[in-house]
Parts: sequence; C-alpha cells; structure tokens
Amino acid sequence: MALNANILRTVIPQPDRQACVRAYIDNTLTDLVDQLSLPPTEAQPSIRIRRRATPANCTINRGSGALEAVPNLEVYRTYSWPGATAYESWKFTVIIRILAIIDQAVRSGQWVSKRDIYYIDPAYFRSQDTVDTVIDELAYTIGVDRGALNVEAAGKGLIAGAFALKRDSRLVLDAGFATQDTLVPRIQQNDEIDILATRWVLVIEKEAVFHRLVRNDYYNRAVAGQGILITGKGYPDIRTREFIRHLFDATCNDRRPPRFYALVDGDPHGVEIMSTYKYGSLAHVHDNASLSIPGLKWLGLKVSDAIIASEATGSDGILTLKPRDRKKILAMLRNSPVLANDGPEAEWRIELQRMLMLNIKAEIELMYELEGGLEMWIDRRMFRQE
Amino acid sequence: MSRQYLAWGSADNAHPVDIFSLAVTQKQVISASGAPSLKVHSTVDADFPLVQSLDGAHALGCHHVVTDVSGTRAVSAGFAGDVKVWSCQDGYWSADATASANLNDLNVWAVALSEDGQYLAGVSQDGHIGVWDLNADGAQIRDHETKGSFGTCIDLSPDGRFIASGHENGAVYIFTTEHARMPFSLSGLVKPVRAVAFSPGGKILAAAGDSKVIVLYDTSSGEQIANLSGHSAWVLSLSWSTTGEYLLSSSFDGKVKVWSIDTKTCVATQSETEKAVWSVKWLPKTARSEAFTTGGANRSVAFYREATGG
Repeated sequence: MALNANILRTVIPQPDRQACVRAYIDNTLTDLVDQLSLPPTEAQPSIRIRRRATPANCTINRGSGALEAVPNLEVYRTYSWPGATAYESWKFTVIIRILAIIDQAVRSGQWVSKRDIYYIDPAYFRSQDTVDTVIDELAYTIGVDRGALNVEAAGKGLIAGAFALKRDSRLVLDAGFATQDTLVPRIQQNDEIDILATRWVLVIEKEAVFHRLVRNDYYNRAVAGQGILITGKGYPDIRTREFIRHLFDATCNDRRPPRFYALVDGDPHGVEIMSTYKYGSLAHVHDNASLSIPGLKWLGLKVSDAIIASEATGSDGILTLKPRDRKKILAMLRNSPVLANDGPEAEWRIELQRMLMLNIKAEIELMYELEGGLEMWIDRRMFRQE
Repeated sequence: MSRQYLAWGSADNAHPVDIFSLAVTQKQVISASGAPSLKVHSTVDADFPLVQSLDGAHALGCHHVVTDVSGTRAVSAGFAGDVKVWSCQDGYWSADATASANLNDLNVWAVALSEDGQYLAGVSQDGHIGVWDLNADGAQIRDHETKGSFGTCIDLSPDGRFIASGHENGAVYIFTTEHARMPFSLSGLVKPVRAVAFSPGGKILAAAGDSKVIVLYDTSSGEQIANLSGHSAWVLSLSWSTTGEYLLSSSFDGKVKVWSIDTKTCVATQSETEKAVWSVKWLPKTARSEAFTTGGANRSVAFYREATGG
C-alpha cells in the first residue's frame, strides 16, 4: 500500500503541471495580444518574470549554516516592449520566442532540448547561456520544473575532429577550428556534414579517455590519418547516437568510407554500451532502426589486451569482477539478443565468458601506462583491423 | 633430454567459440565451450570423429567438465551455475536427470570427480569447498569454509584421500577427505591460482596460475619440492601423465609444455597457436605411445603423440 501511495504521489501531478504550463502560456499570450490590439500609445506589452535566488538575495541560515533564499522575498523583473534599452527589447522577444517554442512542444507532446532551441536561431539567441537562463526563469515563474515545459537537458555527448556542419548552406559548426570540446549537435533533416579527410571515427565510452585523446591531438596525429573522437559519456543519449548514425549514413557509400570503432572498458558495462551504439537500447526500441551503427567495430578493450598490457607494465590494472559484475554478465548472456548464442556477436559473447572464466575486468586507463601510451596502442590496433 | 610430440590430428572448429574444458575417458574426449553443446570425440579412430553432441547442455556455456576413470559418469558445470550429471552406456552419453536434479543449487564453480565417480568435489565463488555423494542422492558430506577468495580450481587425489583447491588470492588448500579436519594452506603463490593437480600416486600436488611458475608440493608435509619456470604467460591448466613421470601445462599465450618430474625441466614445448589454451589432458596410456589433447581459444580439440624412434 505504501508503495502504491508513493507511485500515486509522483505520477498524478504531471497533468496538473502541464495544465499549469498551458494556462500560463495561454494567459501570457492572450495578455500580449490584448495589449497589442490597443492603440499604440496605450499599449504596454510586457512580461513579468520571477527571478531565481542569486547570491545577492540569499542568506546564511544561522541555525543550519546553509545558504538559502531569503524567505518571502519575491524578486520580479518586468520586460516590456519596446523597453527602455535595446537589451530589454531583445530579452523580451527572446522570452516570447522561447515561450512560443515551449507552447508548441507542450501541445504536440514532443520534447525539445535547450540545445535544439539555441540552434533554431543561434545568431539571435547569441549564446546557449541566454536560452538556458530564460528556460529556467520561465519554469521558476510558472512554478514547475523544466521537465514540465517538455525541455530536456542538452545532449551530453562530446565530439572533436575535422568536420563541419552545414545547415541551409550556412556553416553552423566547424569543429576543426574549435578550441574547446564541442557538444554533439542535433542533426536536422537537411543538414550536411562535411567530414573532409576523416579516415576513422572512434566512439569512446569514457569522457576522461576522450579528453586525454583530444589533449594529445590524437584526431590529427593518428597513424591511420585524421579522425573524429566522440563520446556519449557512458551510456549514450539519443543525440549522440543520432549524430554518429548520420556520419555513418553520410559516408557509407564513399569509395573509402571511414572506419567506425568502439573503445570501451573491458567489463560488462563496456560491452553493453558498445551494444547500445551498434544495435540500440531496450529503452528506445522504436528508434533503434534509425540510430544503430551497423559498421561499428570493437577496437578494445579485450581481456587479452588487458592481460598483455598489465604484464608489460607490471601494473595492477587488472581488476577482479564483483559479484554484481558476474550477475550483470549472466543477465546479458541470457537476455540480450545481440549476445545470444546464435546472435550476431559471438566474439562479444565469448569475451564476456572469458571475463567470467578468469574473473577479471579492466579499464581503458590501464593502457595509459604502455610504452607509447594509449595512442600508440590505438594506432597499432587500427592498423591491424584495416 | 628433450622429447618430441607430433601433431596427431584434431577436431577442427569443434565448437564455434573457446573450448574451456576437456575430460578424457579410455576411448573418448568430451569438450565443453562457451556454446551450449558438449561434444564427444572418439580417440580410438585417428580421425578423432565427433561421436555425439550433447545439445543444449548448458544454455549460457560450460566452463568445467570432468569424468570418472571408467568413463561411465561425467559432471559438467555451466556459467549459469547449472551442474549436470551424465552417464554413459556403450559409448553413448545421456543426461542423468535424477542426479542432476539432486545437484540443483550446488553453488560451485570448479568441480572434480573421484576416480570411481561416486564423489563430486566443488569449490565455490566464495571459497567454500564441498563434497557430494552421487550414489546417495547427491547428499553433501563435506563443507569446508576457506577465507572467502574465489575458488578457481579443484582436484581430488586419485586415491580419493585428498582434495586440493586453488583460489584467486593465491591460496592453495589441501585437506584429507577421511575426516572433516580444517584444510591447511600451502604457501608459495601470491597471484591467482588457475590449476591444481595431484600426481597419480597422490604424493605431489602441482599448482600454477598468474605467477606463471608451476609449484610442486609434497602433499604429506606441504613443503615445496620444486618450481617449474618457463611459461611466460598465465598458466591455465595442468595434467599428470598416467605414470606420473610427466606434467603437462598450458598457458594464456597458447604454449603447451611437457615437464619431466625426474629432472624438473621442460622437455617439450608446443606453440601451434597464440591463443589461450584453456585445457590440456593426457590421454590414457596405450601400448602405442603417450599422447595428450588440448583445447582453447582456437576452437579446435588438438591431439599430440610422442614421437617414437621408428
């Protein structure tokens, strides 16, 4: 009974929150339309936003010693059109535009990300930060969380390497000149990706490994030629998978298409993450057909790679499987159609069995200690797979 | 003095994936792998034909298979934790459903069968060592607790008096089966132990693993008799020849070595594969010559025999 009560508490309010959002949008837009229908001299279109706590209106609770918002202090800021300054009028239109996007998302039941909203008009919004702030302020004003606005967090994937993204014949992203990590962009229908001289695409499980390879300029220095590094930071989000699939589709008919490799930990999660990239996840069964990467090849880390590396470096990098790792492997062997006995990935299956047999696993970082580092190891491994 | 062993034939691609374990009877070799079926190969015929496939034996694959000396009973252990008992009549194996049902929830990893097939010894992932009487509905007659380290391998001495187990933390335990005394541990290995094997007379225990060295212990005193060095990768499997003169070993880099117990030296090295050889076994000695079989990541069951002068 207690469990049921819990479920009810979390599930029921959702329609209420959505109703709140719709009501707020309706009222706000109706007010604006009313104002605009007045004679210009009387019209005062404006929008009032409740501000979130800032350090200035926070205080230290003397009892708990924690930073908290000053109670009963509501800070509102009103933006009017045309406003006192150019900034105010710009901010007003930004809020209205974002509100319109949210309105469409909520009504159609579709999700949109902060990143998507920014890319609708990067020149106008000026920065991702603007979009993020306005969305958070709107949610706070309505009194709901961001989810109720059908806005999801930005994609978490990172990408580096020589490619450029063109939208409506305009260059929107040129990663080749990016000095910072670039978030994996949302791909739209008529986007064109120019991957220039890319010979390989390395899909990396871990963010830390990605950063190391970026720092070492590996996408330019690899023996196999120029390439693209990409990570979904663990289990990948749809955005990252979509982008890699787009790269794959865009190049699969090339005379010499780039190779797609996966670099994951030698443990059950590594194999499952690789499986998610290549075949999809159970959570998004309907989308998998458009997200899978059929040409993805396993670069590493295999049990034998790890053993050879640990022997060569004398490190203790080989880890023991925990009981939950063993359980995880058994569940994968039992349930995953990809890993089934007569499934498409016999080599993945046997690798998981070897882990069980030796009771070991290993992380990619183990390869850092090799002579020539992880980079030389990848060079050799790509060469062997050519 | 070095000896030569010649490739004698093989059952190529006997399994679609790694062969993890081999069990030998007078006329057959049973191979177990990451695939569900166990395969039975005849050693009477030099072509080593497949004589039976025990399909669907272990859905998630099988890591250990053992037999008694007469070749009437076999026990296999699968990755899912499933243990199955098999009996053989006129060279044909069938599942012993009753005995298998008795061994449900056995919770063992490595298993060993006594020469007469009556006793099954097993070591679990949490280091428990158990003995079960297969002639008494699988009743458990011994349960020894060790320090909780994963039990990777186990062996019963041919006379049935000793059990030895090897563990991931490098521990090797020996205890007598006659009384339920606490096991005593043997020192010498610090890295995971992957194989333990009693000599035919039960006087020597060989143990090896990630340390790459094979340690020979006197089973009565627990003292180390010798260290056999020469493998340059993890040692995965050990087997004594019928006479106890030779010890066979295999390692993760595909090397198979034959050691003379008399001289404590390596007398032969086979390097036909670079892939892990998970299991090696001498075949029963025949009038012809001594021979052994190997199985591993190259998916074939290979046979080698001693090169004779003529």
